[in-house]
Amino acid sequence: MPTPKPIQFHTTPDDHRIAALAALAIGIHIIEAALPSPIPGVKPGLANVITLFVLFRYGWKDAAWVSLLRVLAGSLLIGSFLTPTFMLSLSGACASLAALGLLCRLNTHLPGQGLGAVGFSLIAAISHMTAQLVVARYLIIPHDGLFHLLPVLMTAAVIFGIVSGLITQSLLNHLDQQSA
Amino acid sequence: MNPLALMTKSDIVFVGIAIMLLPWLYIAFWGDGNSGELARIQVGKQTPVLISLQTAQRYTFAGPLGNSIIEVKDGRIRFISSPCKGKQCIHSGWLSKNGDFAACLPNLMSITVSGHHPRFDSINF
Repeated sequence: MPTPKPIQFHTTPDDHRIAALAALAIGIHIIEAALPSPIPGVKPGLANVITLFVLFRYGWKDAAWVSLLRVLAGSLLIGSFLTPTFMLSLSGACASLAALGLLCRLNTHLPGQGLGAVGFSLIAAISHMTAQLVVARYLIIPHDGLFHLLPVLMTAAVIFGIVSGLITQSLLNHLDQQSA
Repeated sequence: MNPLALMTKSDIVFVGIAIMLLPWLYIAFWGDGNSGELARIQVGKQTPVLISLQTAQRYTFAGPLGNSIIEVKDGRIRFISSPCKGKQCIHSGWLSKNGDFAACLPNLMSITVSGHHPRFDSINF
């Protein structure tokens, strides 16, 4: 009986970079999942710092890979794969990626330097929260009363969006200084 | 570290807009968007009477104990006199919001304020 050929994956340096960055994001994602939250649904979302960093350094495609891998692998590790939490996480990630993609196109038309990491992060956080709330409304709690949470959730999204953006921008500046 | 140094001008504009829109969200979703427009008066098992809260007027309804007087003024409604013992209905005071409710059980009367969309299907105590 012939021995079966071992399956070989050909990986590129790009794949390795995406895997390493996704692993970083997954690590942050899991540490955050362990933190208690005062209000359900409110989470700092610091893993998005990695997504934004990748977006600025390597472009939207890599950012989408890192973000979606983080949602998938993070949920497998936490044990929330295909649960409502996962659905919310995925819908949020997809919405913020869509918003970021749109923003990348629009940004060249903005006056001056255009948006930096803070603006991108803010818009990603807002679209993340909006998509989650809409998915929660239609899949999990089909009642309009859910929208009473919107002001609080949106306040959290704006605050954490700005904070993540500031962290990303200072990370980018820091690395620019080092490489210069 | 200065947070403003980490933002571009467009960033600052976007952050400013987002922060200014937040209070609007609180007003739109938590604000007093529930003022009532109509009051439904139920006396015993009779057909409920609908009265508008826009016209100031006094109404007298006859219950099993006697006449109760209800006053409408400035978009609000209240019991001002009732032949019952406890006067709970009068102590309920002014009702103005969609879903507000007062009753005089001895005289078999209740007032329910409603707006365009009823806020509650039913209420249990």
